[in-house]
Amino acid sequence: MDKVELLSPAGDLERLKVTLLYGADAVYIGGQNYSLRANANNFSLEEIKEGCIFAHSLGKRVHLTLNIVFHNEDMADVEKYIQDVVDCGIDAFIVSDPFIISYIKTNFPQVEVHLSTQNSTSNYKAIEFFEKEGVDRVVLARELSKKQIAEIVEKVGVDIEVFIHGAMCTCFSGRCALSNYVTNRDANRGGCAQVCRFSFQNGEEKDFTMALKDMNMAEYIGDLIEIGVKSFKVEGRMRSLYYLATVIGAYREIIDGYYDHSLTPNKMKKLEERLDRVANRETSTHYFKKEADYTDQYYSGRSEVSNQDYLGQVIEYDKETKLVKFYERNYFEIGDEIELFTPKGEHIEFKLAKLYNEDMEEIDVARHPDNIYYLYLDTDIEIPEYSMIKMGG
Amino acid sequence: MKLLIECSSKENLYTNKTDGIILPLEGFSVESKCFFSMTEIKDIKDKSSCMVFVKVNKNFMNEEIDDLKKVLQELDDCGVDGVFFYDLAVLEIKNELNLQLPLVWNQTHMVNNYKTCDYYYSKGVSYALVGKEITLEEIKEIVQNSHISVMVEVVSKPSVAFSKRKLITHYYQDLGKVKKNDMIIHERGTNQDYELFENQDGTSFFLDIVTNGTSVIKDLFDIDTPFIIMREYGLENIFSQLIQDTMNYISNGCNDSSYVEKYKMIGDSTNFFFRKTIYKVKKNG
Repeated sequence: MDKVELLSPAGDLERLKVTLLYGADAVYIGGQNYSLRANANNFSLEEIKEGCIFAHSLGKRVHLTLNIVFHNEDMADVEKYIQDVVDCGIDAFIVSDPFIISYIKTNFPQVEVHLSTQNSTSNYKAIEFFEKEGVDRVVLARELSKKQIAEIVEKVGVDIEVFIHGAMCTCFSGRCALSNYVTNRDANRGGCAQVCRFSFQNGEEKDFTMALKDMNMAEYIGDLIEIGVKSFKVEGRMRSLYYLATVIGAYREIIDGYYDHSLTPNKMKKLEERLDRVANRETSTHYFKKEADYTDQYYSGRSEVSNQDYLGQVIEYDKETKLVKFYERNYFEIGDEIELFTPKGEHIEFKLAKLYNEDMEEIDVARHPDNIYYLYLDTDIEIPEYSMIKMGG
Repeated sequence: MKLLIECSSKENLYTNKTDGIILPLEGFSVESKCFFSMTEIKDIKDKSSCMVFVKVNKNFMNEEIDDLKKVLQELDDCGVDGVFFYDLAVLEIKNELNLQLPLVWNQTHMVNNYKTCDYYYSKGVSYALVGKEITLEEIKEIVQNSHISVMVEVVSKPSVAFSKRKLITHYYQDLGKVKKNDMIIHERGTNQDYELFENQDGTSFFLDIVTNGTSVIKDLFDIDTPFIIMREYGLENIFSQLIQDTMNYISNGCNDSSYVEKYKMIGDSTNFFFRKTIYKVKKNG
């Protein structure tokens, strides 16, 4: 059985590297045009090339989103852009427009084309259409049950990708222009203002809201593998490095644990706790087990949690001095219970005993985000760059 | 240029007043307020001399595909003039069953450029209803550069979004109150109302203000736009007269400026005809 692909978002080159190091098999990125996250940093052509070289050196892949809904003016330079990014070495395009699909398959048959979830593809018959158009993979709509996904996998000849984790749209993807009307920002060209997270007056005592809880499919990874899904997609090109490292690292362990039968209930519980802790919203499996209902949404009167767990990002570890050099992210102090985790999945828990500023003066508190600090940690475990420091417990 | 209309009730279909009507098929269409059974559609088709188009614009699930095949076959058999579709399953089934049924590409917010219109034309799709979030200039470019027969919705409360979720039911469940099927919600920042309508298929969002595109009809006429569409909802009191006046206006070459003057009564919202959306709020560094 081929191992399922773990597909991570990467909003910039650093996220690309970190998520691949933390166990993603592939990343999806946006270029500076034609991507549905127009306000993420996004990748220049040079960065795409560098990202591809880095990914390929690890035997991993880069998918490029080209999934805006095209207007006439967007078509002007897109063919040149496609040529340019193919030259950079990308492995697959994620596309929603069938004209673009047809153009790529005609001119660059060596590059895969994945149908974007923006098409909200929800049945096998629609997939049959795209299969004939040469699409290699379909990212399914997020409104499907386990049974529906299984039937699709069984009936079609293309690879199936599903979202497993992250924020959700309230409406069918692509079938929503709320952002256009409320903010004049084009939802289907990367400007979505997430109006489905706004609250609206309606004459009742509580405002009308329709925001959804995030998706979390950790518990059902085994089911999805057994069904025959080929790729698991994590949402969040604009999420923090720490969030991505945690989520991708946790799913890497869940997937590997499923295949090598090492996923004990205790280990799973720990991994789920890790995912819960980095989340800023409650989670749900939405349509997977049942028709989505009111428990999958948020209503007025809630606020999102700002997570303060993330303490720092490791720059390097000196085995001689036993000092971890890191960028600080959140306030912490001597005596705190700390956890450091590495891209390889090692977790080291310890009580912070010694802390230094950049001038190597011993201090009690790290209080300035983005400043460089050092902490003392006596360990034989390899602590590479991009290891993360978080609050323990 | 032909006028197609979509009515907001079954009481008056205006079939003798217009070039064509659009009938949303019950259980197979969304983003409308009045739905018709297959029996009703066949009956209307038999009795009407105008063109009859049918909306089959849901996102379908696997278990609906067999029924979808049946209704498309029935619509083909009864000779309707076209079927509005969103889900590509409709196009695939048309090809699979070798149906003669003309199709209208109606992916609500996605019909925004002429190259993709031509792509669908090459796949046997006859018509495209352009998105309501593009400008008149963009629409004109599509009409002038695509081989597909273009439809433009000029007067309507625009469909803004569609969710499979029963958002009104869920809201009232949380509130512990008896649910309703529709609701007006107010967005504070823009001081704008939206109407939500829920049925068994999900929740439709409409802008609660009528787009008045009567002033753009002449521009569209001048470039030989094949179809314009008007939807009755929100205009019930004047719709009959509006249809009649619009038919006359078109038949007289759209030269009667008093028509545009008269229908200023509909309001001054021209939606995105003269307003471009933005999508980048900052420059890449």
